[in-house]
Amino acid sequence: MAEKTIAELLQETTEDSRMMDAPLGVRLQAVADAVRRLRPEFTAVVDRMVERLEANQVGQSAPQVGEPMPDFILPDQDGRLVRLGELLERGPVVMSFNRGHWCPYCKLNADGLAEIAPEIKRLGGEIVAISPETHQYGAALRDYADAPFPVLTDLDNGYALSINLAFWVGDEKREAMKESGFDIETYNGNDTWTLPVPATFVVGRDGLVKARYIDPDYRRRMELDAIVTAVTAEGGGERRLRSA
Amino acid sequence: MEMHQIRYFLAVSRTLNFTRAADECNVAQPSLTRAIKQLEAELGGDLFRRERPAAQLTELGQRMHPLLKQCYEAAVGARSLATSFKGGKIGTLRIAIADAVDIALLIPHLNQLKRMFNALEFRLLRGNSKEIGEYLKKGDAELGIAVEIDRDWDRLDSWPLFTESFQLVVNRCHPLADSGPVDVEALRQQPSLSRGYCEYAERVSAALRAGDVDSGGSHEVSCEHDLIKLLEADIGMAIMPRSASTPDTLRRAEVEGLDIKRTVQLYGVAGRERTAVASAVMKMLRSADWQAFTQPAAPPNDAKPPLSIIAA
Repeated sequence: MAEKTIAELLQETTEDSRMMDAPLGVRLQAVADAVRRLRPEFTAVVDRMVERLEANQVGQSAPQVGEPMPDFILPDQDGRLVRLGELLERGPVVMSFNRGHWCPYCKLNADGLAEIAPEIKRLGGEIVAISPETHQYGAALRDYADAPFPVLTDLDNGYALSINLAFWVGDEKREAMKESGFDIETYNGNDTWTLPVPATFVVGRDGLVKARYIDPDYRRRMELDAIVTAVTAEGGGERRLRSA
Repeated sequence: MEMHQIRYFLAVSRTLNFTRAADECNVAQPSLTRAIKQLEAELGGDLFRRERPAAQLTELGQRMHPLLKQCYEAAVGARSLATSFKGGKIGTLRIAIADAVDIALLIPHLNQLKRMFNALEFRLLRGNSKEIGEYLKKGDAELGIAVEIDRDWDRLDSWPLFTESFQLVVNRCHPLADSGPVDVEALRQQPSLSRGYCEYAERVSAALRAGDVDSGGSHEVSCEHDLIKLLEADIGMAIMPRSASTPDTLRRAEVEGLDIKRTVQLYGVAGRERTAVASAVMKMLRSADWQAFTQPAAPPNDAKPPLSIIAA
């Protein structure tokens, strides 16, 4: 039997992690540990890329807590245009930047967001996932997580770059990804090999960032509890006021 | 990467001079130099050889240039679209569509823009592929949708949207209506309507004529509107691309043995500043899911029974 590609190996591991009754960080770590065990040479490439990005504080100059989040108009997986400003009129918004439907960590992240989506909704908030993938693949991420929220296409990472979140994968990582069975050029509709730094923002009704989590190590994401806490602080107040 | 770093990088690439680039960007030269150094550190190599009198792009710089430019233009487009919304003005979309391409491809996207921008106006131009190229060249259109524009001008940017096959289209009363997939051989005796405005008309006619079979006669038509009317009058059959929409009075079928495909492309002009609306439409079309035209149609009445029935 031919040796499995990393993409194939990760599929099984991701499913195991998905079923874990554990915080998101633990589920993600289980995948990262499995990759390290099964393909140490791939993990070495990832570690080198993350080290390069961390050394240069990539993504850190994105909007800080207390700063305004620039408005966006992006199409969702069905081609419907979604505007941040319009969502904010209804309540706080959780913005989740993802690499794509092929990424096990993004899949678990989207799955986790789907888990807390009813709670966010109850608090009057909205969730949007953003990825550089064309609609067909954005829809695949949404389907995987059975997400009730849209997956928006930020083609060519335009919005991500405008808030300093885009980075270049680099030659070594690109080759490792190609070998691993990730056809990024098809998914993203370009050959630029740029991706967003995975990040989560909670934006308040006033358009200001209330909480953010940015980590060039894509194996780590904002914990679900922290998202709910930030939205509660923002959305809950308004809701209580109305029902009082 | 930070947006201003890329802006400075593009300015130095253009001027090959750090001082002039700094002037162009309205920034002090040490700031520009520092920003480019940061970008170089992040990308893991020098982008310029700092020579006198002119700076030169390194091999890495040359490789990074097109992709950084694409990402930067997308960021500028994202910002200007949001700004347009704030200002309530989005401007006029000037788009040229080849005669052989259905405007239905564009309509859902126009609808989305219309919903977001009340003030949206557009100017829709038609012509053959050559004319679409001319519209782009002259600046009458910012975007073009066509199948094959001759690349005699190196400033044309193109993005393939989808590759599709051709189908048989007949009146619902036609003997071949509802007969399922048809072999190309069976079409050779049929009177046909040839889409003279389609770049693939010659290839389609050749396929129908192949094998020395007497053709059933061919009528040449000059626009899709006439073609539909003639099909509705059952004057003949036509071979049309999957993305061409047809009314309910007509029937479509796959043609076996007709190995002709065309790729519908989006065109723009490199190096010309795009309006916010053109940049948005460009990204919407490139992001869109065109699988309806690229995947083979599910054969009718061939659906597998649900598992529960098999198990029973």
